[in-house]
Amino acid sequence: MNTLLSAGLILLLGFTGARLLKYIRLPNVTAFLLVGILIGPNILNFVTDEIFFASDFFSNLVLGVIAFSLGENFRLDALKTGMKQVMWISIVAAVATWILVSVAIIIYFVAIGFPIYPGLVLGGAAAATAPAATVLVVREYRSSGAFTELLLKVVAIDDAWCLIVAALAIAFANALRAEVFQTSIIFASMGEIFGALIVGAILGYIFSFLNRFVKTREEFLIYIFGFILLNVGLSLALKISVLLSSMTMGLVVINLARENYKFFEVLRSVDAPLYLIFFILAGAHLDFDILYKMGIVGILYVVFRTLGKVLGARIGAHISKAPKVVEHWLGLALVPQAGVALGIGLVAKATFPDYGDYIFTVIAATTVVFELAGPLLTKFSLIKAGEIASSE
Amino acid sequence: MPQASSILGLAIVIIVGYYGAKLIHKINFPAVTAYLLIGIIIGPNILNLVPLKIMDVSHLVSNFVLGIIAFSLGENFSIKAVRSAGKSVIWISVFEACCASLAVTLILILYYLCSNMSIYPAFILGAAAAATAPAATVMVIREYRAQGALTNMLLQVVAIDDAWCLILSALAITVANALHLGVFNPTVLLYLLLTIIGALTLGVICGFGLHYSSKFVRTREELLTVTLGFILLIVGLSVRLRLSPLLTALVSGLVITNISKNSSMFFEIVRNVDSILFLCFFVLVGTNLEVHIIPKIGFMGLLYVLFRVIGKFVGVKLGSLISGADEKIGKYLGWGLVPQAGVALGVALSARELFPKYGSLIFTTITATTVVYELVGPICAKFGLKKAGEI
Repeated sequence: MNTLLSAGLILLLGFTGARLLKYIRLPNVTAFLLVGILIGPNILNFVTDEIFFASDFFSNLVLGVIAFSLGENFRLDALKTGMKQVMWISIVAAVATWILVSVAIIIYFVAIGFPIYPGLVLGGAAAATAPAATVLVVREYRSSGAFTELLLKVVAIDDAWCLIVAALAIAFANALRAEVFQTSIIFASMGEIFGALIVGAILGYIFSFLNRFVKTREEFLIYIFGFILLNVGLSLALKISVLLSSMTMGLVVINLARENYKFFEVLRSVDAPLYLIFFILAGAHLDFDILYKMGIVGILYVVFRTLGKVLGARIGAHISKAPKVVEHWLGLALVPQAGVALGIGLVAKATFPDYGDYIFTVIAATTVVFELAGPLLTKFSLIKAGEIASSE
Repeated sequence: MPQASSILGLAIVIIVGYYGAKLIHKINFPAVTAYLLIGIIIGPNILNLVPLKIMDVSHLVSNFVLGIIAFSLGENFSIKAVRSAGKSVIWISVFEACCASLAVTLILILYYLCSNMSIYPAFILGAAAAATAPAATVMVIREYRAQGALTNMLLQVVAIDDAWCLILSALAITVANALHLGVFNPTVLLYLLLTIIGALTLGVICGFGLHYSSKFVRTREELLTVTLGFILLIVGLSVRLRLSPLLTALVSGLVITNISKNSSMFFEIVRNVDSILFLCFFVLVGTNLEVHIIPKIGFMGLLYVLFRVIGKFVGVKLGSLISGADEKIGKYLGWGLVPQAGVALGVALSARELFPKYGSLIFTTITATTVVYELVGPICAKFGLKKAGEI
């Protein structure tokens, strides 16, 4: 099996899987993940090492593309109306999840005589959501309406809150463990956020300034991928959030000139194979053996994270006087969890020599659950909100 | 952070390639030339801005892109097009390949006799001279939106003359073996036959496969996924089975053109995305060009460069006279056949394996002349198209 053959099989099997699972009404994302599991190292082993090594590269590129596309939803003229709701829902959902998961796990840890700080970190990781899965479900079912718009904005923006929450959680945990409160962690996360905003804004501005030379469709494509890669590469090099900087770039681009929407359109017309490969690789990376190590903590995490998202979105929607559908169903759509949470798990692994591995294992195991269940819940909530055509 | 550097490296390739093409447009050079020059500049010989990781995958990119190009070339071989111009295409391509081959072989035999070397390398170099480079020609045609009888003819000729090159090089290797070792060894010829039959079979199967799979496709996004998936499959299988990916992909494109009612949708959807792949491909070709080898081109290389072009022009003239093609075609088509690239290098690589003594000499000559042709070829192609009034 050579790499080209493997890549061809990934695309074709992904397509076939998605088509077949349509019959039992599973979203494409779920199909891609399942195909990934099937052709991954545990079962058929169709994925060559070369592709495995490239998967980090790939996932960063795809996250950049997704976040950039999400930026399109933040047109300033459209923002005035819904922004209050977006802020309340995203912040309350993130904080409520953090608190609920932390409290539940800490109570359990106290009961079994465990140190309590890993509970705080797990709670921080639980706040994170996964924009990629949500965006794909929205697109596949051509969901549209006020609920969908709000949802896309919430998943785009809540990465910022998740970063803050996770940083606070790690700082508190460190304080409990070593009895020193390291403000540097909080400063670092602030740096990560503001750095991302600055880099994204600068590149977005340059993008918009120089794009007068771009004429044909082919050039659009070259130009846009060049900038997305530049932004992702710079963000990685400066250790700032790839998602936030890409989203900011998209936001700046769409607001600087009306006709810039063309770039987003061109991107949408070609990105389907990228998402397919991204999710198949994510599936191939899913480690099922880890599920057995999830334990009671993992179950608590899954239950209380879901509860936190649902209740948090409810409270936020209620405070900001959002429509009733939003209040009832938006929380479920926020359940997917993926790379951002794993990233926090990796930081924990590096920060806490004693329980870091354990924290990472719990996050990785619950990610398997949420990756598979998340898209289904998102689809369910969109149906409940009445924004997917009934034929689906 | 190795991650960041390979992503930044790719970003540099794309952005610099893009602006380089814009700049060079001002002095009326084709974009391909800009991509190659930029590749040379940011490549390991000068600025060294391209991380090793990206260089490592360049063979994947190049096989994929060549597959896309060959597949797209299949679009030009609809039954209708073959009926109207097929005869000329065959005559011209056979003649231009054989004449170039003959011219180079004869002049090099003469040279070797004068300098007391064994003559068998001349046959292999001659066979390599038959090949052209479809990628560069296609890019130039697309960039300038060239249209007309000559353009169509050129696209068909560059598509099939690589097949003649394969045949000629197998013959040449057999002859060279016979001269070199004094034994006539037909395995290479048998192997050639298998390769061609294999490529045709695989191409036909994949063409039908793509056609039937596309019946399940509902959206444009899915069509893109499936088409790219099949091209990757074709190239991957060809590499695996040691067939020519160019030939296989060409046959698949040809099959699709003739069996699908709306075959143009496949080619159109690929055209939507391939510009960025072409850019990466040519910039990477540029980074891999061994410019420092040019001084080693030697007298032999110069003869090769000169007589290959003469052979091409004479062959085109003869072929178009015999088949009664347009006068314009006989006059200007040769310019589009100057580029030389991967196929010739492939011949060089197998020569290096088969003939330990002169293999590396053959390899160096072909590599050095390829550098020259890569840089000059696109400009010649543009010149020819312009003269013919199709730009």
